[in-house]
Amino acid sequence: MENKENTLLKKAIERQKRARQQAEKILEERSKELYDTAEHLRQTNKILENLLAQKTTQLDNVFVNIIDPYVVMDLKGRIIKMNSAAEDFLGYSIKEKVSLASLVHEDYKEYTKASFKSLYTTGLIKKYRPRIYTKNKGLRHIEVNGSLIKDKTGTPVAAQGILRDITHEIEIKSLLDLQKQRLDIIVENSPLGIWLTSNDTLVKANKAIEKMLGYTEEELKSMNAMDITSVDSLQTSQDYRKQLLAGEIDDFTMVKKYLRKDGSYFSAKTTVTAVRNLIGELKYEVALIEDITHELELEEEKKQLVKDLETSNQGLQEYAHIVSHDLKSPLRSISALTTWMYEDYKDKLDDNGVYNLKMMQEKVESMDKLIDGILKYSTIKSDHLDNSLVNVNDVVKEIVDVIYIPEHVEVKCVNELPTIYADRTKVHQLIQNFLSNAVVHIEREKGLVEVGCVERSKYWEFSVKDNGVGIPKEYHEKIFKIFQSIGNKERSTGIGLSIVKKIIDLYEGKVWLESEIGVGTTFFFTLKKQK
Amino acid sequence: MLNILFIEDDAIETMKLHRTLAKLQFKHKIVEAKNGEEALAHLNSDEVLPDIILLDLNMPKMSGIEFLKILKEDAIMKYLPTVVLTTSENRADLLECYKIGIAGYVIKPLKYEDYETKLASVFKYWENNELVKA
Repeated sequence: MENKENTLLKKAIERQKRARQQAEKILEERSKELYDTAEHLRQTNKILENLLAQKTTQLDNVFVNIIDPYVVMDLKGRIIKMNSAAEDFLGYSIKEKVSLASLVHEDYKEYTKASFKSLYTTGLIKKYRPRIYTKNKGLRHIEVNGSLIKDKTGTPVAAQGILRDITHEIEIKSLLDLQKQRLDIIVENSPLGIWLTSNDTLVKANKAIEKMLGYTEEELKSMNAMDITSVDSLQTSQDYRKQLLAGEIDDFTMVKKYLRKDGSYFSAKTTVTAVRNLIGELKYEVALIEDITHELELEEEKKQLVKDLETSNQGLQEYAHIVSHDLKSPLRSISALTTWMYEDYKDKLDDNGVYNLKMMQEKVESMDKLIDGILKYSTIKSDHLDNSLVNVNDVVKEIVDVIYIPEHVEVKCVNELPTIYADRTKVHQLIQNFLSNAVVHIEREKGLVEVGCVERSKYWEFSVKDNGVGIPKEYHEKIFKIFQSIGNKERSTGIGLSIVKKIIDLYEGKVWLESEIGVGTTFFFTLKKQK
Repeated sequence: MLNILFIEDDAIETMKLHRTLAKLQFKHKIVEAKNGEEALAHLNSDEVLPDIILLDLNMPKMSGIEFLKILKEDAIMKYLPTVVLTTSENRADLLECYKIGIAGYVIKPLKYEDYETKLASVFKYWENNELVKA
């Protein structure tokens, strides 16, 4: 029994021993774990500390490396910290403890006060734009963006901000504003309507166009260019725009009829120009619109006037013919009666009676000539020029064959005369007048009339020279005026040289003369070469 | 002998014609008409149609050209040779007359002697012509 008990006891002790050993081992393991953990924590802590230190350094570096000027100021506005960019820009060192507020231009003091107040209340300052005096760069325009710095308890202690020099930017902007303003003045005051569209939508319409159409710019913005185009102009306008959109043309000009708000119409010369981007896509269309209603009216008026003038010219010509006929008919009667008087009563008439009848005949003749002259003069018209090639030599020959030339007078051409492009009848009339004049005013034994011509670059210069009595200087101008005759000859009606002048005027030429009393006269005249 | 219809409103012109005929001893028969209407009345009457017509252009009422137009529209009378005898040197008149149809265009000269010469040649010319004779 006792052995049995012993055995049991031994077993129990053994078990206890094993359990204790086990517990000791666990304890030992735990204690090791604990140590390891502590060790790990310590190391982690160390890493974190390092990391923190690094971050701080990095932040400091950021502060130094900010390119824009960066300042920190106390609540009184004194700069307590700044980077080198700020030092450079302001021209002050940190030691000078400059108050930022004191640098602000007087015009911006009030604005500054308000901005600072907003900073204290909201904690932020954004786009604060004062002008400040820098030490070296003078007055500069800056923009400040910043915030309040608060301590652990949330009490504001300082303010920090980034400065940006916007002087140049402002200058450019004001320059741009100025230019825009000027451009606006031009656009708004332009008498031309200006209409700028992009993708069929109105971008800008000036006052002139509002006035022309009766719509406001706002109203126009909700409209399409075709809404103000009259039906008459729609097709042409659309055709052009198609070409513009397709890139076939870059601009077009047309006279377009527009529809006003009140339903009335006006015509305007419209020039549309395409504004394209670099790859040729249509970005804008600029239309310049000039109201030409008045011009069209004037044009119409002009047409009417020309028509009236034509009619009245026609009438005048008719009138000249009728008057000349009505004057010539009785002259023929008088002439016949005078002749019969002589034929039937020559036995009963004395010399004086015969002489008087002869004088009557002469007067009738000169009156007939005068009527012919007036008729010719009044029917010389530029639109009746029937130009062809005319050999002037032939014309002179014809005239010499036809006109009365006293026996003692010889007519010759001093050189070969040209063939000119002119109205044959007029050239004939012209030269005949000169020649008839020349041949009758020669009193010397042998008369000589010489016709010549010199070619100038744009004109033919003709001359008709005689060795006649000569024309006194005071008459040189007068003789070209109508009804001015200076000769005592019965033949001269005073109309010949005015006919000459009128024909020469038709050919944009000049006529003048050189004359010496008792030696002779040379008439010169030019005819512009016709194309 | 020619049978002549002389259309002229001016009395002295008529005298000139008669005097010329008498002086040159022409035996032509002259029928006078003072204007276009009178002439048409004569042509449309039972009288024999003239061999030639001498026609003045500027006349009161119906003018020479108007008369000429009516004449040329008539199926029979359009064959009557018509010689215009006028003072008008208006080219427009001349062209218009030829366009409608005339047998001659004679301008009355200023001097009576010249008139005689001209008319003599006209008559001689027509004396030498074979005429339709109604």
